[in-house]
Amino acid sequence: MTALLELANLRVGYGQSVVLQDVSLELHQGEIVCLLGANGAGKTTTTRAVSGLLAPWSGEIRFAGENIASIPAHKRVELGICLSPEGRQVFPNFSVHENLLLGSYSKKARQRRAEMFDEVYGLFPRLAERRTQKAGLMSGGEQQMLAIGRALMGCPRLLMLDEPSLGLAPKIILDVYEAVATIAKRGLSILFVEQNVQAALLVAHRGYVLANGQIAAAGTSAELQNSTLVQEAFLGKKPSLLATDGARGHSAAVPAI
Amino acid sequence: MDIFPQAFSDAILLAGLYTLMAVGLSLGFGVLRIINFAQGEMIMLGAYGAFWLFTLMGVDPLISLPLLVVAGFALGWVLFHGVVAKVLDAPHINQILLTFGIGLAIQHVAIILWTGNARSTTPDYATTSSVVGDVLLVHGRVTAFAAAVVMVAALIAWLQWSETGRATRAVAENRSAAVLMGIDVNRIYALSFGVSCALSVATGVVVSFILTITPFMGFPMLVKAIAIVILGGLGSIAGTVLGAFALAFAETFVSYYLPEGSGWAEGIAFVLIIGILLVRPRGILGQAVET
Repeated sequence: MTALLELANLRVGYGQSVVLQDVSLELHQGEIVCLLGANGAGKTTTTRAVSGLLAPWSGEIRFAGENIASIPAHKRVELGICLSPEGRQVFPNFSVHENLLLGSYSKKARQRRAEMFDEVYGLFPRLAERRTQKAGLMSGGEQQMLAIGRALMGCPRLLMLDEPSLGLAPKIILDVYEAVATIAKRGLSILFVEQNVQAALLVAHRGYVLANGQIAAAGTSAELQNSTLVQEAFLGKKPSLLATDGARGHSAAVPAI
Repeated sequence: MDIFPQAFSDAILLAGLYTLMAVGLSLGFGVLRIINFAQGEMIMLGAYGAFWLFTLMGVDPLISLPLLVVAGFALGWVLFHGVVAKVLDAPHINQILLTFGIGLAIQHVAIILWTGNARSTTPDYATTSSVVGDVLLVHGRVTAFAAAVVMVAALIAWLQWSETGRATRAVAENRSAAVLMGIDVNRIYALSFGVSCALSVATGVVVSFILTITPFMGFPMLVKAIAIVILGGLGSIAGTVLGAFALAFAETFVSYYLPEGSGWAEGIAFVLIIGILLVRPRGILGQAVET
């Protein structure tokens, strides 16, 4: 079975500096995969490359079997790749409703707009209550819901969420992940980036750990939960291998899991 | 006789015209982050277009308006794809020099083709007028005001409610988030530049029966448009409307109430530019922009 999304030896960077050295991963239809890693490991760069905001230096991005590396970003939305970006990036001067309308800008999504509105407002009743509110005046959690809802409005085949828990209170993180779990139950394929490992592994089927622009570990959520590498890097045991940006360039040992 | 009603109505009529004159510049800057210094020459081309259609073929400027608007849009579209697209990520000074250069080139071609003689279109309503109460209303100015209001209202409605207009505002607000919505940013850029040029051409058509037409008429209008846009806040349409009213009222009242006022009035734009840059550089309704 071909994977819905497959990255093969992806190499990407900004200007002169390389961020992703060599990343290969795959995600199958209906799977929920999380991408873990410390700050600066390349998680956001990966989502930006898949959505087309960054052009890969080399390697392949295959979506439903086709190499989409040279397709411009706005056309990838039409293919069904929708990203809720890091830092949410809602349109602050637009109302909630208008933000969602923009989410279904692509031709395919426009035809299913009414249906998607029902779905998104059903999923996030808070957004329905605030539909005329300016997005910029809402709380971080509400903006996060809006960013996810906006991505859903595009009728994604692959939904990407970049750090949906960033800067949110623990209670709100639970709300957001409850919504993600609900979406996941409907069979949507989801790739999400997270620093909050425990929240991520609760929802994801599988995960990859990025370190220094490479895949340092991969496995099912249970495997990752128990792996010493993940525990060391994220769960508070001695911080050694993965550390931070400063360690970029050293290649992390890949443990067998 | 109290001159206030006259000054007030003159200011309102002028404000409508100023709004139309500045709104294209504001749209272009808001979306592309480029100030089109050739905007004044677009106004001049619009005025000449109206003049020749009127003089050679007897077409009323109000009839030629839609035709010239379409032509102005096409000109903007071509200019965008031909040259402007290449400097989108260039330093601001390159963008300024480029659009300024385009303006100069157009101006000089106009001098060669049409000489520097002053001209004007003279449809009937350009010279007739009526008196309402204490106020003298020149029909040409009222007509220009009405045309301006219709066009600015159409622009605002388009931006507010159409699919493409909404996308245009989204690009102005956050380019990369707009891409993630599936919006073809380059297409929106071309469209906005085209609409912005079309609005300037429209301005030229409506002033063709109010002001004298020369190849040099554009630059002073560009300066005023920049003053309005800076005053209201770069990239904010509502701010532009506000800025247009502020400049129109300031100019009109200075020229009515100060001795030798009409001479001073022409300098108001500069006073406003300097004042706003000192006091509130983002403009009345503008947001801070990182460059």
